[in-house]
Amino acid sequence: MKKNSSVVVDLLLLLLAITVLATPAFSDLVLSKVERRIDVTSQIARVTKTLKVVNSGSESVSEFTLTFPKFLGNNLAYLSVSHSEGKGKAKRSLANLSVKEAHPKGMPDSISFYSVSLPKPLSKGDTLTLEVVAAFTNVLQPFPEKITQRDIHLVMLQESAQYLSPYVVESQSLSIKLPNARIESYSKLENTKVQGSEIKYGPYKNLAQYSYAPIVVHFESKAAFAVAEKLVREIEVSHWGNVQVTEHYNLVHRGAQLKGEFSRLEYQDRPNPQGVSAFRHLLARLPPRAHSIYYRDDIGNISTSQMQSDSKKTELLIEPRFPLFGGWKTFFTIGYGLPLSDFLFASEGKRFLDISFGSPMIDLVTEKLIVQVVLPEGSKDISVTTPFAVKQSHEIKYSHLDIAGRPVVVLEKNNVVPDHNQKIQVLATLQEVQNIIQKCLAAHDKLEASLRDLSRTGDIQTCKAARKSTDSLLKDLSKELRPLLASLQSFPSASQISPKVEELVAKERELQEKLMAKHTTVVEGYEKKSSGRDIENRIASQQQKIIALRQEVDDLLEFIDEI
Amino acid sequence: MAATPITSPIPVAMYPTLSVVTLAIGLVITAFFFIYEATSSRKNRSLGKELAAAAVASVFLGFGSLFLLLASGVYV
Repeated sequence: MKKNSSVVVDLLLLLLAITVLATPAFSDLVLSKVERRIDVTSQIARVTKTLKVVNSGSESVSEFTLTFPKFLGNNLAYLSVSHSEGKGKAKRSLANLSVKEAHPKGMPDSISFYSVSLPKPLSKGDTLTLEVVAAFTNVLQPFPEKITQRDIHLVMLQESAQYLSPYVVESQSLSIKLPNARIESYSKLENTKVQGSEIKYGPYKNLAQYSYAPIVVHFESKAAFAVAEKLVREIEVSHWGNVQVTEHYNLVHRGAQLKGEFSRLEYQDRPNPQGVSAFRHLLARLPPRAHSIYYRDDIGNISTSQMQSDSKKTELLIEPRFPLFGGWKTFFTIGYGLPLSDFLFASEGKRFLDISFGSPMIDLVTEKLIVQVVLPEGSKDISVTTPFAVKQSHEIKYSHLDIAGRPVVVLEKNNVVPDHNQKIQVLATLQEVQNIIQKCLAAHDKLEASLRDLSRTGDIQTCKAARKSTDSLLKDLSKELRPLLASLQSFPSASQISPKVEELVAKERELQEKLMAKHTTVVEGYEKKSSGRDIENRIASQQQKIIALRQEVDDLLEFIDEI
Repeated sequence: MAATPITSPIPVAMYPTLSVVTLAIGLVITAFFFIYEATSSRKNRSLGKELAAAAVASVFLGFGSLFLLLASGVYV
């Protein structure tokens, strides 16, 4: 109760601070529509915001500021902003934009600011749609904080019904998706509706800057509040064909603490088992073709586990030695081997390892994650690239048959959520697609060259021969492209890139068709021996389209290059 | 800038077979060495034969033990 009231007091102080302070010199962006969806079905609160930004001022703007109240900002584990185009079903998301923490002067301490750099400066009157995904840990507070074995697990979420932003908001709505269980209470403001297990606030129109309406939702959560206090993940690379991953977990249940005693009899009573707040199973998603999986702890092997594998993933369901109630801890080790060719690649004389960063367990929050990458003896020039900030250091490990020891890169990060797990694997496939498109463009150039030759020499036969060879070359290249596109689709993290890549391929195909059509017209023209000017007129419109398409393809290639 | 996957120089599935074969050959040559020592007298024995048998046997046994380690999961 005390914690609750202190946070509410914080919120009121925040409101006061904001109204008292003069509004700062933020640019005249207006948010014409804000839709927020908060998903609290697991222990991590995921907020997805769609913001439509309109530049109503006179200068073009290249930066956008995102704000969170401090008690949320402190618990922000993952933030990604992307911008999308199109409406409804034709929506395509483009790349992630770079987000940096910002501390603008003169702002109250109770707001966290993040500055997003826009891809193109937004000029006067233009609109832009931004999609923000943020994951917060520790914002679902168990309330009551201590429960007995028989009680249900109730948690509380505090948020703002009105979007806190330094810009004026014209229309906004908020929808909170709760787990399919009991809703104890929720703040009732105007325009509040409950539909099944979703609470909708809004739409609210025409709100000033920094408007804030605190709401509290108190509901039952059946999710497993499993938090790994410390996770040490060792990835050992051996050039003899194996990547061995060993993970040491220190797991704790961070929900409402268990008060009183644990009765095994009541826990196993059928038909009314008492102990809803505990969790028994943990699911881990390992890469496909994982082998030699073991699950043990200091006592010995733990046999309560199941494994199911298919071509896309290997699912490991483990059950610790006892069910975990609030405040209980357990520790165990999971190890598995992975084939080397799935993770180690050579390019430009260097070798790089492409592997996921965090824990493979779904919905596990890691408070302290230490990843040790052990490279073979004699590795030099080691560098690490991660899509988010980590702390790096180097060590040496002496293992089997070693003389000088194996270099180890140690990466540390706090507050890791499963959203951090995805992005590292996409680079390898993208390069292949780019290569094939470059080859297609080279084939197009050959066609153009053959046309020029024709105009010089008038030799129709060689022109036709060139056309035939480029036809077959382009067919081969499109065959190569198809499996790559399919594999790109299977990467979840490529969901923003793959529509772009598909667009590129479609444009290239269009360009191909137009070039072929132009070639045929010119060759026919020469066969009929019509004058040069006739031919030019016929292909003029086609030529323009070809030039425009070629420009677009080049732009897309550059864009993908930058990623 | 294509990225080619790196694989082991010898297919991983062959490790158990290779280890059995090389260890067997190594042990056979070791056996030949011992039999030679047992059946030859001081005058008849030849240093060249002893050294050759020992060298070849050690090479095979060495590789055999490497592949045995790899096949049993200790990826050295």
